[in-house]
Amino acid sequence: MSEFFQAWHYDGKSAVRRRVEVQTIAGKFFLLETERRHGPFAFADLHYVGEREGDHVYRLDDSDGWRLGLSGNVPADLIALLPAKRPYGGWIDRWGIGPSAIAFGIMSAAVVAIVLLTPQWLAPLIPSSVEKSLGDALVGDFGGRFCETKKGRAALDKLVNSLDASPQDLQVEVAKIDMLNAVALPGNKVILFDGLLKQAKSADEVAGVLAHEIGHVRERHVMQSLLRQMGLSVVLGGLDGTGGSMLSGALSVTYTRGSENAADLYSIKALSGANISPIATADFFQRLAKMSGETTGNKKLTAMTGYMSSHPLSAERKKAFENSIAKGKNYKPALTPTEWTELKTMCTQDRKAKSGFGLDF
Amino acid sequence: MNEGSGSSASAFRFYGSWQDFVRIVIPNILLTVVTLGVYRFWATTRERQYLWSQTDFIDERLEWTGRGLELFVGFLMAVGLILVPFFALQFAIQALALRGYGGWAALVTFAMFGFIMYMIGVARFRALRYRLSRTYWHGIRGGSDDQGFGYGWSYIWKTIVGYILAGLLVPWSMMSLWNERWEKMSFGPHRIESVGNYADTFKRYLLFYLLPFLLFVGGIVAGGMVAVAGSSVGIGIVGAVIVLGFYVGLGAIALAFYAKFFRVAVGGLSLHKLEFEFTARTKQWFMLFIGDAGLYLLAAVPVAIILGSFGLLSGFELPQPGDTAAAVQGSLVIAFLALSVLPFALIGPFVRYRHWKFFVVHMEAYGEVNLDELTQSETVVSKHGEGLLDAFDVGAI
Repeated sequence: MSEFFQAWHYDGKSAVRRRVEVQTIAGKFFLLETERRHGPFAFADLHYVGEREGDHVYRLDDSDGWRLGLSGNVPADLIALLPAKRPYGGWIDRWGIGPSAIAFGIMSAAVVAIVLLTPQWLAPLIPSSVEKSLGDALVGDFGGRFCETKKGRAALDKLVNSLDASPQDLQVEVAKIDMLNAVALPGNKVILFDGLLKQAKSADEVAGVLAHEIGHVRERHVMQSLLRQMGLSVVLGGLDGTGGSMLSGALSVTYTRGSENAADLYSIKALSGANISPIATADFFQRLAKMSGETTGNKKLTAMTGYMSSHPLSAERKKAFENSIAKGKNYKPALTPTEWTELKTMCTQDRKAKSGFGLDF
Repeated sequence: MNEGSGSSASAFRFYGSWQDFVRIVIPNILLTVVTLGVYRFWATTRERQYLWSQTDFIDERLEWTGRGLELFVGFLMAVGLILVPFFALQFAIQALALRGYGGWAALVTFAMFGFIMYMIGVARFRALRYRLSRTYWHGIRGGSDDQGFGYGWSYIWKTIVGYILAGLLVPWSMMSLWNERWEKMSFGPHRIESVGNYADTFKRYLLFYLLPFLLFVGGIVAGGMVAVAGSSVGIGIVGAVIVLGFYVGLGAIALAFYAKFFRVAVGGLSLHKLEFEFTARTKQWFMLFIGDAGLYLLAAVPVAIILGSFGLLSGFELPQPGDTAAAVQGSLVIAFLALSVLPFALIGPFVRYRHWKFFVVHMEAYGEVNLDELTQSETVVSKHGEGLLDAFDVGAI
């Protein structure tokens, strides 16, 4: 670049590059060509664009394509009038990059903490009527998959009554779906899948699982996790796809695991209160552990998948239930053999209930 | 002033350097991480400012005038107008399916996919429009007065037509959409013309159909020979070679087709008295992607380290009932953040750098530009950036 100060100009109306001289008059300036004068322009309207081949380039407010380029040794009195460089823009240039990064970091940590922690406080504030209508909207009659027989219902009610102090605001149903699972849904709904009943060896096992799901309802986990998931997806949605979803997954799994443990604890207490032996539930987890290959598989690998899965390791849960057995306590079965058979065969007896998973169209 | 070209030197030149670019990238990554990704719109803008400013066309650098705020607003619009309704609709579909209205659930799902496709089309168009309207040369910019809503419909029907008839019309569909998109664009006072002919790419496209046939015949011949020799291992090897040949072959053909497509498509572009050409052949595209793969491998090493650290972390005590899991998880979260987000964020800018350089280095232009005639574009400038495109994660150009 030339050592001499030179200026060029695009007026934004045509593509012709003009060689100009900058003439300053009382805070304003003109650009002089040999036969033409452009301006006046206000220094206040100038903004720094960037460097182009060693030249400093400026733009002017509200003038599309208007550019002024300065090269060489710009006189000091002109430099004093020109706007400063703004490599990052906005707040960051004002604060400096280091302080900005720290400030943003603290703000981000605060936002994540709020999103993770507030659902615990927020969920109980949501009126149960709202939660109930959300649950109804979501579940309805489950596409006619709920099973119903008089005796089966009586057995189920007995089970619920023994496990919960205020069973009237719970809605417990059995769905004709062949999966070894049970779910707690918004609006105090608990659904046991038929597959679970079929594969359970005793009513005590079902009682343990049912109490676990009731635990989710009573601790208001369903609403909490719904709120937390929504919050995390909003906050971490800004990060690049994989990183954000992995992080969000890791964070929410942490909390799901916390809830699962809390629900297990609730179940242990409820079983003890109902005088039902936890040994059957421990057996159930033992069988689950075998199904997932925990007892035979690579220990490190199991620990890793256990870390990432939403439920705590079945073997760990088995131990927790086993440890809660009170020696010498006179446990009684959760249901009589007849009641258990009625509950277990409820879906077989109820021929009106539809079966399957809802995608059979 | 007339700028004739036609000499051996290209009208497009790239003067960027990795070292300078790193100085843009590192603060970008830092700020993106501490803002949980919000800064990435400003990061993109800073990247583009650099890449554009290092790109020379004839006698002057390009200038990127887009702003981070525009991209951010575009992103918020996409979230508000599309992602949130979709999230709600997902619930509705679930509820419909659970309540046994399977047919309705299917219908809503179908409508949803139709809408997504429409929006992808619109997004592609608007992204190109946005980029042209923020690209200045000699103080003059490009743009389009078309909103791209019509293009959305074209995108749907041309894509569908492309894939019926065993996909034979895909080259037509691609080229026709390319031309339709570019024909609506302008730079300064001049409309861009785009007359790429799909027929020029068709021979290469037919290789897709030839490959299975060749592999089949080759497999029978080789299999017959091996069978005569009576070796069961040999049959296994032949099978493996056929499967491998299928995947490698498909990849190679896709690359060869795309290289040809891009040459024909860019070759069909002209602006007033300027004609454009793209010179990269299959081999150059191959080298581009091999380089990308190398960069991604560099990123994969830290990821492998994360997996390794899982083994270490599995030694931690598992949370017992009643524990607050967050206490145990803290170190894991930090490991995730540091090792899985950082490398990919680090690689992304360099991949974009390489692609931009590749694009510029292989661009040529012939003809002349009359600077007196090249006056400012009168197209409308939208105040929001590529939000829709961002939402659907598709690239422009």
